[in-house]
Amino acid sequence: MTTLKIDINEVLVDCQSVWKIFGQNAKAAMEAVVHKGLGKTQVLQDFSCVVGVSDVSLQVRRGEIFCIMGLSGSGKSTLIRLLNKLITPSAGKVLVKGKDLSALSPAQLREVRARHIGMVFQSVALLPNRTVLENTAFGLEVQGVGKAERYQVAERALAKVGLTDWSSRYPSELSGGMQQRVGLARALTADPEIILMDEPFSALDPLIRRQLQDEFRQLTKELGKSAVFITHDLEEAIRIGDRIAIMKDGVIIQVGTAEEIVLNPADDYVAEFVAGISRLHLVKAHSVMTPVAIYTQAFAQCDFSRLTQTSLDADINALIGLTIGANLEPLAVVEQGVVVGIITAKDLLRGVQGIPNDAHATAPFLEPLA
Amino acid sequence: MSIPDFSVQFDAAVDSGLMWLQDNGESFFDAANALLSGVFKGVAWCIGTPPFYVIAVLIGLLGWRMVGARFGVLSMLALLVCAFIGLWFETVSTLALVLTATVLALLVAVPLGVLAGLAPRFDRVVDPCLDLVQTLPPYIYLLPAIALLGYGPATALLATFIVAVPPALRLTALGIRMTPKEFIELGEASGVTGWQMFFKIRLPFAMPSIMAGVNQSLMMAFGMVVIAGIVGSGGLGESIYGAVRTLDIAKSINAALAIVILTMILDRLAQSAAESREGASQ
Repeated sequence: MTTLKIDINEVLVDCQSVWKIFGQNAKAAMEAVVHKGLGKTQVLQDFSCVVGVSDVSLQVRRGEIFCIMGLSGSGKSTLIRLLNKLITPSAGKVLVKGKDLSALSPAQLREVRARHIGMVFQSVALLPNRTVLENTAFGLEVQGVGKAERYQVAERALAKVGLTDWSSRYPSELSGGMQQRVGLARALTADPEIILMDEPFSALDPLIRRQLQDEFRQLTKELGKSAVFITHDLEEAIRIGDRIAIMKDGVIIQVGTAEEIVLNPADDYVAEFVAGISRLHLVKAHSVMTPVAIYTQAFAQCDFSRLTQTSLDADINALIGLTIGANLEPLAVVEQGVVVGIITAKDLLRGVQGIPNDAHATAPFLEPLA
Repeated sequence: MSIPDFSVQFDAAVDSGLMWLQDNGESFFDAANALLSGVFKGVAWCIGTPPFYVIAVLIGLLGWRMVGARFGVLSMLALLVCAFIGLWFETVSTLALVLTATVLALLVAVPLGVLAGLAPRFDRVVDPCLDLVQTLPPYIYLLPAIALLGYGPATALLATFIVAVPPALRLTALGIRMTPKEFIELGEASGVTGWQMFFKIRLPFAMPSIMAGVNQSLMMAFGMVVIAGIVGSGGLGESIYGAVRTLDIAKSINAALAIVILTMILDRLAQSAAESREGASQ
């Protein structure tokens, strides 16, 4: 999908053991946590402080959409506000493009917020006394960019979200979905590398929401932006995110791709979440196949040439189609012209259940190729 | 046991304090008097010099532009009525007094209100002062003002100014304080400076509240300007006071009619100014 040449290993946002404790005695509570290892409930009892974010470390790389999924009260909104220092961490460091936010002067921090980190809010927060165009140009206006230039850039951003015809309207004339598009256009206008999305689509109805999710993902990938996307909806996280972090009680329980999380949930809490998620489009061939080495070990003479071929990242839905087309014969997974794995109908059924193929589990299912 | 009575000592202290002010601040109060009556006379001259029908037509046109054609015609006719009942000069003088006092009050109230809205500590000091000003009967301001500034429009101006300050100050502070949290976040996340936060985000949200305060101050000023007739404010207030003293019912009703006309016209104009500001935000 990526159209721009970007270094996907470059870390843009680096959170290092970040904590946030709210309350009057936050400082003392933080020290007690560090030195005595106090837990969340104890902090609340002894210091009447609330632990919002607890020892979170994460990296967001260039061009990546990083979703943080959690229910209300999990600390996800606090966490995203730590990334542009709308909230100051109680402990730990947040580095944006290698710069420690807490070491910046107020002017430098404004500069980072204005040029490098855009933000989109659940409430959208469009200024009611300004037109759509003036709202979109707000970031550039703050930076002191001249009127003609900033309106030109804002027009282009509005065009990207499909709102060219609405630029002279006021926000109250727009539907919720359109308002959120303006919010996104406003964040894009200053051309930041990172966009923070704080539950932007939560208040929209399901259809518009799906549409915006797809548009957002496409646009972000096209422009090569990194995004941190907060949501309470796992399906949304799966739809949008390259990687997903699952958060509960201020702690990140698991980080991984949608497939990793669905196939190997870190604990019962995550397992419960992913239970209802359809595997059809999530689980890919590389997770369900039996590596070809295991096959050749068990059955010395194998002829893969007449099997239907598929690729490593074909999803279960596609594989089922192929298997039926091949009369339930196994499929050969091919990478760069070489067969790397075999998928039988049994492997596929396991995949639908969300059970990955590791050699031990599937060994009993091995059968000679006809 | 009888209640100890310190009233004699208290009164003496107040009197001597006032005397001391009079003796030691004479030049200051003379200058203040000259300044206030100078400003008042200037404004009165501007409105009073053109013939009455010119002013009536001008205000009628203003009403037409800001409110509507019907209001414009009605306010022009109403002002002509003021002239035909022989109270044109008094009406103009009252208008000048109200406008001067309100403008002076806003010059003080709006900046202080902004400060009170931004700094809760300052608000805690100002709030009881405003309570005091608003609960004391308005007559109270007239006596010390007379003692210090003498009989005449300067005293009326000062007393009117005092009652006109609190509403605008309070509503300005309220408006500044009430900026929705998500817009403060928007500003911070966009990297605004302190000034930009104030002018681009806080002030636009506070504007309807500030305009309501302006309107309230204007109305308070109208109320006070009649009372200030006692201290020689001139204008309709003094006409009413004179009519009450001589039990001239017809004259008092004429003057009251003129006051009502003037108040209604200014109230509607101020309201529509506030609404047109809000209209831009919809």
